[in-house]
Amino acid sequence: MKHWPLLLLLPIVVFTHHAAAQEDPWADDDWGDDEWTDEDTGLTWSGFVEAGMGTRSTKDRLLDNRNSLEDLRWRVETEWQPDDFSVSLKVDGRYDGIENKWSLDIRDLTLAMSAGANTDLRLGRQVLTWGTGDLVFLNDLFPKDFVSFFSGRDDEYLKAPGNALRLTHYHDALNVDFVWTPAFEPDLYLTGERFSFFSPMTGGNVAPAPPLSAVEPDHSFSNGEFALRLFKTVKGTEYALYAYRGFFKQPGALTPALEPTFAPLGAYGASLRRTLGPGLFNTELSFYDSRDDRSGSDPLIPNSQFRFLLGYEWEAKPNFTVGLQYYLETTLDHDRLIANSPFPEFEPDEFRSLVTNRLTYRAGMDKFTYSLFSFWSPSDRDFYVRPQFTYRHSDSWSIALGGNLFGGDKADTFFSQLQDASNAYLRIRFQY
Amino acid sequence: MIKKTFVTIVAIAAAGMAGADTLTDANEIVERANQAAYYAGADGRSEVRMIITDAQGRQQRRQFTVLRRDVKELADQQFLVVFSQPSDVRGTVFLVNKHIDRDDDRWLYLPGLDLVKRISAGDKRTSFVGAHFFYEDVSGRPHSDDEHELVETDDTFYVLRHTPKDPSNVEFEHYTTWIDKQSFLPMKIEYKNAAGDLYRRVEVLKTELIGGHPTVTTSRVSDLLTGGNTDMQFRFIQYDVGLPEQVFTERSLRSPPRDWLKRPAE
Repeated sequence: MKHWPLLLLLPIVVFTHHAAAQEDPWADDDWGDDEWTDEDTGLTWSGFVEAGMGTRSTKDRLLDNRNSLEDLRWRVETEWQPDDFSVSLKVDGRYDGIENKWSLDIRDLTLAMSAGANTDLRLGRQVLTWGTGDLVFLNDLFPKDFVSFFSGRDDEYLKAPGNALRLTHYHDALNVDFVWTPAFEPDLYLTGERFSFFSPMTGGNVAPAPPLSAVEPDHSFSNGEFALRLFKTVKGTEYALYAYRGFFKQPGALTPALEPTFAPLGAYGASLRRTLGPGLFNTELSFYDSRDDRSGSDPLIPNSQFRFLLGYEWEAKPNFTVGLQYYLETTLDHDRLIANSPFPEFEPDEFRSLVTNRLTYRAGMDKFTYSLFSFWSPSDRDFYVRPQFTYRHSDSWSIALGGNLFGGDKADTFFSQLQDASNAYLRIRFQY
Repeated sequence: MIKKTFVTIVAIAAAGMAGADTLTDANEIVERANQAAYYAGADGRSEVRMIITDAQGRQQRRQFTVLRRDVKELADQQFLVVFSQPSDVRGTVFLVNKHIDRDDDRWLYLPGLDLVKRISAGDKRTSFVGAHFFYEDVSGRPHSDDEHELVETDDTFYVLRHTPKDPSNVEFEHYTTWIDKQSFLPMKIEYKNAAGDLYRRVEVLKTELIGGHPTVTTSRVSDLLTGGNTDMQFRFIQYDVGLPEQVFTERSLRSPPRDWLKRPAE
């Protein structure tokens, strides 16, 4: 909390931008003919300033700080568009009170251009997403920031940026998306700094100091990540095929020296999304090939898996949307996994199922949004519930109030290990 | 000879005037209005600004560019809507494939997450990006969804009353339109609810002749129960610009077609 006087900066920033806003033609009530925002008058700068504060419902005895979020963030965005290419920039200057550090997070710094009439190229640091799941990812193996997600930052921060080259080719017969990430970009996993996590070694939660730092693969061409998507929409039905070569994004493996690391992974999948009845239907599947443990007998490396998703979303009443998903994760060669594991009681079940529900209600001309997203695993007997209320007061000011609630019967399951991380948060944002 | 030509001209003119005056088939009027309001030219582009005023007088703004292409006259259409203001929606893109014989296909691109989100088929008579306009006001309500009745014809307007075939789908009991007899543009639309209250009005405040098409350049929708309204202003309008089908694909969500979005010299 000692750095919270920094919040005093907020009004200064806001005031400065209010003053600047007076020159913005949009701030003028006169909608005369000459008041249209001009094009091509150089760079447009925009962004936001946001303060976020979150605290746990109960203290995690392994961690000194009861708070789960102490963020002060200044986003700056711009785009430069000469004739043949464009350069975009999105950067967050940020003070994180939990980790007690300042940082400059580049979310986007890309050069985009067309290579021929039907091919787009995007090179640089960028956020990438594909697949049909709603907060459930099968073939989307781009980096995710679960620490941000669990601590109540904006949903946007669930997707972490990566340094990559994306080539997309559009063709009448088939569209092809290819992403090369030269240096492996893992998820931002639980390290014990903000949230403690379950360790099979101790049979309980740990919060190591220094925080967990998994061993990343050496940099080499073959240790890069290669992701491919073939996709096409036919009469409103979206079909896609996926392939990936890289590593598991979470440090679920151990080196021979028993340090956490990322096991080599190949993934092959498909998805379909279309309108069905009054709503939208999606299904996706993926085969995770654990390249270094195809027999499933190596206790240090996760086994191969088969993942499957079904989803349906519809507008139940005006402004009220309901989404349901069923997700099943099948661990292959499960008998061999259990037979060889030093901690058979903490290995995943052969079948891990997950049901999700999203409820969204918008009111007052979309100024108020009430949302509730729930994960519930019948097999792990654990849950994760995300209520959130957002109020968009004006084009400048908005607030978000929400919570992240975790629970479960067993200590070692994914959501259950986060029980002491259950938190409530408030974010105030000024957009400029 | 001269006399005969003169007579012919008078006859044609009279027939033309009579034609404009004698439409009595409600469905034909609705079709002409639909054509005038949503199908001018084979395609079109426009920049749009909305000023949203709530009941307390507080204002919000939106600015975007719309590209439209008719797949088939008076039938399927494609829309691409690219937002430029305010900054939290800049880069957000809507893609709509409007169908007459089935539900529309609609996608929304959220640049912060690089997410192509599909929007479910219902969700048409709800606020369009926080405005008093509905999605359906922007892309058009299929005229086969209502029964149409011509209730009055005066010097300026055809006045029609429209009753929904499926009342459970909509919030109105009926609505009334005032269609200009010359341009066939619907100049005013008033919605009444089941209690008989007039609760919503859409009105045209300004029109211009663009590329030979009478075109709405300012319109307003008012919430008559709670107060508040949205003004929508169109500028830099062009018709028949030759938009290719490829502009209305997933490619344009991630990489908006700059050549087609570029503001033309006026």
